[in-house]
Amino acid sequence: MASLVRLPAPRRAPSSIPSICSAPTPLATRQFHTSGQLRPSPSKVTTAIKPTFKNPAYTIRPYHSPLHPRLPPHEYTNSQTAILTASLPHIPSQGFTNAALTLGARDAGFLDVSVQLLPRGEFDLVLFWLASRRGLLRGKVEEGALFTRAAAERGREVGGLSVEEKVKILVLERLRLNKDVKEVWQDALAQMSLLGNIPLALTELHALSNDILTLSGDAAVDGSWYARRLGLSAIYASAEVVMTRDPTPELVETEAFVERRFADKEALREKVEGVGSWVGFLGSTAVGVGRSWGLKI
Amino acid sequence: MSSRSAWRALHYSAKRRISQPTTPYRCFSCARQSLEQAKPDHERMTHFGFTNVPESEKESRVGAVFSSVASSYDNMNDLMSLGIHRLWKDHFVRSLNPGTPVANRDADAKDKGWNILDIAGGTGDIAFRMLDHATNINHDMQTSVTISDINADMLAEGRKRSIETPYYNTSRLSFVEANAEHMPHIPDASIDLYTVVFGIRNFTDKQAALNEAFRVLKPGGVFACMEFSKVDNPLFDAIYKRWNFSAIPLIGQIVAGDRDSYQYLVESIERFPSQEEFRGMIQKAGFMIPGRGYENLTGGIAAIHKGIKPIVQS
Repeated sequence: MASLVRLPAPRRAPSSIPSICSAPTPLATRQFHTSGQLRPSPSKVTTAIKPTFKNPAYTIRPYHSPLHPRLPPHEYTNSQTAILTASLPHIPSQGFTNAALTLGARDAGFLDVSVQLLPRGEFDLVLFWLASRRGLLRGKVEEGALFTRAAAERGREVGGLSVEEKVKILVLERLRLNKDVKEVWQDALAQMSLLGNIPLALTELHALSNDILTLSGDAAVDGSWYARRLGLSAIYASAEVVMTRDPTPELVETEAFVERRFADKEALREKVEGVGSWVGFLGSTAVGVGRSWGLKI
Repeated sequence: MSSRSAWRALHYSAKRRISQPTTPYRCFSCARQSLEQAKPDHERMTHFGFTNVPESEKESRVGAVFSSVASSYDNMNDLMSLGIHRLWKDHFVRSLNPGTPVANRDADAKDKGWNILDIAGGTGDIAFRMLDHATNINHDMQTSVTISDINADMLAEGRKRSIETPYYNTSRLSFVEANAEHMPHIPDASIDLYTVVFGIRNFTDKQAALNEAFRVLKPGGVFACMEFSKVDNPLFDAIYKRWNFSAIPLIGQIVAGDRDSYQYLVESIERFPSQEEFRGMIQKAGFMIPGRGYENLTGGIAAIHKGIKPIVQS
């Protein structure tokens, strides 16, 4: 036992996990589902833990089993993607309407009638817009420019950004991706609020908040996993509504709104935690008092 | 002597009778004979309702059914489906949204509207709805519909009805009597939208009709089909079957005076492939399937199937 190199204790601080994950050599340090033959020897692990960074901004490697392929970002076929991609440039002028789809179909070399390929019509366009923007956001984080720029604006290192700050940066960046369609975003909101479309819209909202939290390095695996996603979804969805009425070109008002909502979230979290610890203290006191009276608790 | 001559006379007459049989040979069992007769014209069988008939015969039999129901077709549809068939047809046309809206039209105006082929649309139910939608909703005055039907009586009924529409005697509406399995008069890649509503179950060879549809459609063109299908819910299915096999032939007998035609109708509905099977047939013809490929109406009594002809990547 003494000859084995002692591994450092696993730390939960989110900033440390990415540094382990982003080892340039794929030595399967975090591939929990790999079989025994792939398990590295302890000496290899120690070398992997001290990596030399080429790109320190790329600090994210989302956990997934190497035995399962990564899920596709959307479920559309090639022809559907061709029509939808060609429709995206028409959205700012035409809105999220059938007209944009028809023009897109024509640009892609299809006929007017070919929009029948999309059984949900305009809502498919909305979903594709959301999914593609989500992919863009992920791409921006993975190529590393986003957090570097944000850190430079604050005059700090990338590693010094907290999870909360990263979440805020990502939410604002995602809102800025909607800047071109700000005028017609109400179309999309209306489509998403139709009864039959609500489940898919909520799924997409969850996927977005999940992506934002994962990309910002949130590693919570307790009950707050749900609370964080719920809170972030609420903030993002309300900010989208505010954005449709924001007259400033640089989304100053929306930004201020998001700041206020994050402050609210923080205040709410403190209060909930305070009430929780108060209840816990009262409970343990009551148990203690009961025991001192001889109750068999 | 007399008895002998009498015996001889009998004997001769009996002999004569054998040598010259007045009636044809009648065997004890006719099965062998009928088998021998059936052999030379041995051919593929297809179903006609619940009975099997030779493929060559189905066309004429279906023709006879629709000739006999042509005049009372509309009343009977209303009674049999409790009027729901109108909702289905309206929904079908609305979901296809025929015609190009003015705002989407190119400035050079080279496109001449959609070229729609309505197969088995003899009475014009779908065709008039398509033209109405294109004209009134999309303000497209160029979109034209060709009604094709194998049955001259149904086409005559459609012609009669078209007199009351604004499309009578215009280039936007034309009638063709043709078999959907073989349409040499329609060139390749010339149709935007091919529709067949409550017709394909009567076709002798459905796959051939689908292949022909694939041929005449432009790349990117749409094949849309509405047809009776299978009900998902077992409870609703039991009620629906009861209605089909008890009520509909009875209504046919009372209103149209023709029980057999409506018996054929419900049997052909029962024999039509399920949603998934028919989707497989559409795929087999080469079409792309959008999403799930079909949309159930009223719990699956009818279903709308769609397929899109792919664009060949150049």
